[in-house]
Amino acid sequence: MIKFFESVFENLSTWGLPVFMLILGVIEFSLGLYKKHWSKNERILDIVCYTVPKIVVRPLVAYFGLKFLPLALPGFKAAFDWVPFWWGFFIIAIADDLTQYWYHRLHHEVPFLWRFHRTHHSAPYMGMAMASRQNIIYTIFFSQTYLTTALVYIGLGYPALFVKGIKSIITTLAHSSIPWDKPFYEKKWLHPMAWVLERTISTPATHHAHHADSNDDGVGHYKGNFGNMFFIWDIIFGTGLITRKYPSGYGVKSYQQEEWYAQFMWPIFKSKKEGSELAHNGPMVAEDPVQEKHFLHDEDLPSFNPAWKSVFTIPKSQA
Amino acid sequence: MKMEPKIAQRIVKNVLLSLFIYALPIVLMLLTFYFSGERPWKKQNNSNTEKQISDKK
Repeated sequence: MIKFFESVFENLSTWGLPVFMLILGVIEFSLGLYKKHWSKNERILDIVCYTVPKIVVRPLVAYFGLKFLPLALPGFKAAFDWVPFWWGFFIIAIADDLTQYWYHRLHHEVPFLWRFHRTHHSAPYMGMAMASRQNIIYTIFFSQTYLTTALVYIGLGYPALFVKGIKSIITTLAHSSIPWDKPFYEKKWLHPMAWVLERTISTPATHHAHHADSNDDGVGHYKGNFGNMFFIWDIIFGTGLITRKYPSGYGVKSYQQEEWYAQFMWPIFKSKKEGSELAHNGPMVAEDPVQEKHFLHDEDLPSFNPAWKSVFTIPKSQA
Repeated sequence: MKMEPKIAQRIVKNVLLSLFIYALPIVLMLLTFYFSGERPWKKQNNSNTEKQISDKK
């Protein structure tokens, strides 16, 4: 058993991660964590979104990228393979994850971009099934695919693959419907570790809050918690909210269970559901049915920089 | 639908800070090389030259 898991982690960038996700997914299903939300439409969408990027998009980008880069940057092939492994790892981890933080944040904050990312948020459940769920345009322009190809070309392939492996594990676990971080909040002696953990990496509590369908319960925070591998970006830029709790509902309030092909291929295919954000002439961002509350950016919050409030505040339930 | 000016301002401010964060690990690495006297890129150049000479032989 131990040997099996060792080989899963050794082969994370090939067959390891899919196996890891499959095992987690089976556990989630057997524990009934999808709560009957996984309808036929959701199932097709999740499976298509999981397979197409792996079979089509990423291999194509890697193939054409490695053909194009020698022509565009002929002098840079393996030009940085002298960079020591751990420095390479440190530089790439920051560059890669900060770029993804921005890619993700802009899809939430720039109204024009929202519909390319909506598919990831429309799932009314969390777990392995929805972790890879994205619109095809979001997938095609996904920064990490290009960054990894470019880093392999300039000679930083090994640290890039190592970062990719660690990042995959963290983001997969943050999307899981298994609240593996709960013991850290429940057991008092683990609180110091929880404090560091939740500020360093994405956890189910902070990332589930980002997938909440409402901000009204004081737990959901879909206008923030953008971090993927590292949560520290949300702390630095003031977009984070830490409550150590899980929201009661997931998804988007305006969800009309739009057809899987419209969610996957918008704007090439559009939804037939009237008034949908994905319909022909649909609104760029649907009206929020609920009055929003802003936690970290309220003018009335005291102190020098409200962003740091979440860093120093311990939730009442933990005090 | 337009972006709120407050959000646009915050994005600009945070992007500037991000540029500093992107550069930080590279600057730290170069500073380490400066103080330790390490020159890993030279080692690489030497081994490449040696390889080219042996290939010619």
